[in-house]
Amino acid sequence: MAARVIAVVGRVNMSSIPDFTGLDNPFGYSAPIWQRFTDPARAGRFAPETPAVFSGEAGTPAARSVLRLQFRFAAAHVADARFQAYGCPTSIAVGAWLADWAIGKSLAELRSLKLAELRAALEIGDDRAHCAAMGEDALLALLAQFPECST
Amino acid sequence: MIYLDYAATTPLDPRVFEAMLPYLRPDGVFANPASTHAAGFKARAAVERARAQVAALIGAEPGEIVWTSGATESNNLAIKGALEFRGSATSNFLHIITSRTEHKCVLDTCRHLEAHGISGRAVRVTYLKPSKLGVVTSEDVLAALTPETLLVSLMWVNNEIGVVQNIERLAPLLRERGVLLHVDAAQAAGKLPIDLQRTPVDLLSLSAHKVYGPKGIGALFVRRRPRARLNPQMHGGGHEQGMRSGTLATHQIIGMGAAFAAAKADLETDAARIGGLRDLLWSRLQLLPRIHRNGGDENGTAAIAIAPHLLNVSFEGVEGESLRASLPELAVSSGSACSSATAEPSYVLRALGRDDEMANASLRFSIGRSTTASEIERAAALVIQQVQWLRELSPLWAA
Repeated sequence: MAARVIAVVGRVNMSSIPDFTGLDNPFGYSAPIWQRFTDPARAGRFAPETPAVFSGEAGTPAARSVLRLQFRFAAAHVADARFQAYGCPTSIAVGAWLADWAIGKSLAELRSLKLAELRAALEIGDDRAHCAAMGEDALLALLAQFPECST
Repeated sequence: MIYLDYAATTPLDPRVFEAMLPYLRPDGVFANPASTHAAGFKARAAVERARAQVAALIGAEPGEIVWTSGATESNNLAIKGALEFRGSATSNFLHIITSRTEHKCVLDTCRHLEAHGISGRAVRVTYLKPSKLGVVTSEDVLAALTPETLLVSLMWVNNEIGVVQNIERLAPLLRERGVLLHVDAAQAAGKLPIDLQRTPVDLLSLSAHKVYGPKGIGALFVRRRPRARLNPQMHGGGHEQGMRSGTLATHQIIGMGAAFAAAKADLETDAARIGGLRDLLWSRLQLLPRIHRNGGDENGTAAIAIAPHLLNVSFEGVEGESLRASLPELAVSSGSACSSATAEPSYVLRALGRDDEMANASLRFSIGRSTTASEIERAAALVIQQVQWLRELSPLWAA
């Protein structure tokens, strides 16, 4: 698994990649959160000179968490994505999910994200709703760099 | 899984398991130790042997050991019982001195007494703030004494950070002043030499399951000369010299006795070996930049003593819950309260001046008899790998 993640984030210096292979979920996170937390494909960031990359960042007042999304656009669609997160496993899973979800989407499709869809996909309970909201905020911050008409 | 949570609890020592079996078997020694027949006398004799074993580890007399259900009950009995007994001799409010880094069962007992008083009298409590290194000095305690101070309650070894308070120095100073000293020694017994013949502690709480004995049994040392008097908190048949009623749990008591006898036999070798493994773990973890040892100084070699089995470390740049979750292979305690969005970090680390973030991003490693050097190497490698990973994942981390 580690080799696969290194391939995905090849442009980022990741000197250590965790290997959760074979480990269960002793802390009782939802299965999709645990899966994204332990196998966070698209973790990292694009090299600074990468063209057509847009970033969006958000935090949450409920916990000192920060999520940064980066989308690389080609032909008005997301060609590649990265995320970085400081926060709980749910926050990290939200970043990982959004980076995967965004691939191939147009601006209009990105704008159509519903918070409920994100929460349902990761089975995020009410106590961690702020993590999902942080994900939506990061996406909105990224999309705010585009005029509403540019779809 | 690598178990590094021996300060939370320990497995039974095989010697303890064997000692307990005859008292658990259906055809074993099952009679009530209070019964006045041959079977009861046999059980009673075994209980008294165990009492002597517990007393021997701490330099006490067997008659100074009162069986309880564990250190939480011992702490409750010591504090409430002493105040209730001595409270009737004073006409004003009663005063206790303790510290902010005590175990919850001491702090909650003190808060209960503050809220409700005892024997119709108000209770005031001074919660001393330890130094950044986790130390409460004798001078701090003496400066807080008032004419109304009846009791000082301090733990010998802190359960989160391992800092050893200098009880040997404090105890005679309080004895001179006629103030009772209660010490929670749950984390100290079997880890440090304790000699109550030389150290005039009045009341001292013990737990079996921290010392490779069974859960559900503990003891309170109650000094006989000069006599530390208590009012019972559990009323009934007048067991344990009237201080703690309830049928004695023979098998648990035998287990505690065997555990304390083993601890006495192994104390020096255990302390040296376990302390060596703790130092190995700390030296390996220091390959990571920007980590901080909690309790004592950073290199652990200053005059402040740290119990050999404990290492508490905060990691900059990682979030506490993710740190814990990223280490499912390790059984360690975390400073992070993980199940809630409004996580309440360790109050002990907060009292040392750590901010919420650093208190959350902490791990308590506690090492025991079964720990091996290869487990320490593996644990250190895992922690280093996962902390590096979480730091690189963070948009806030600047190496």
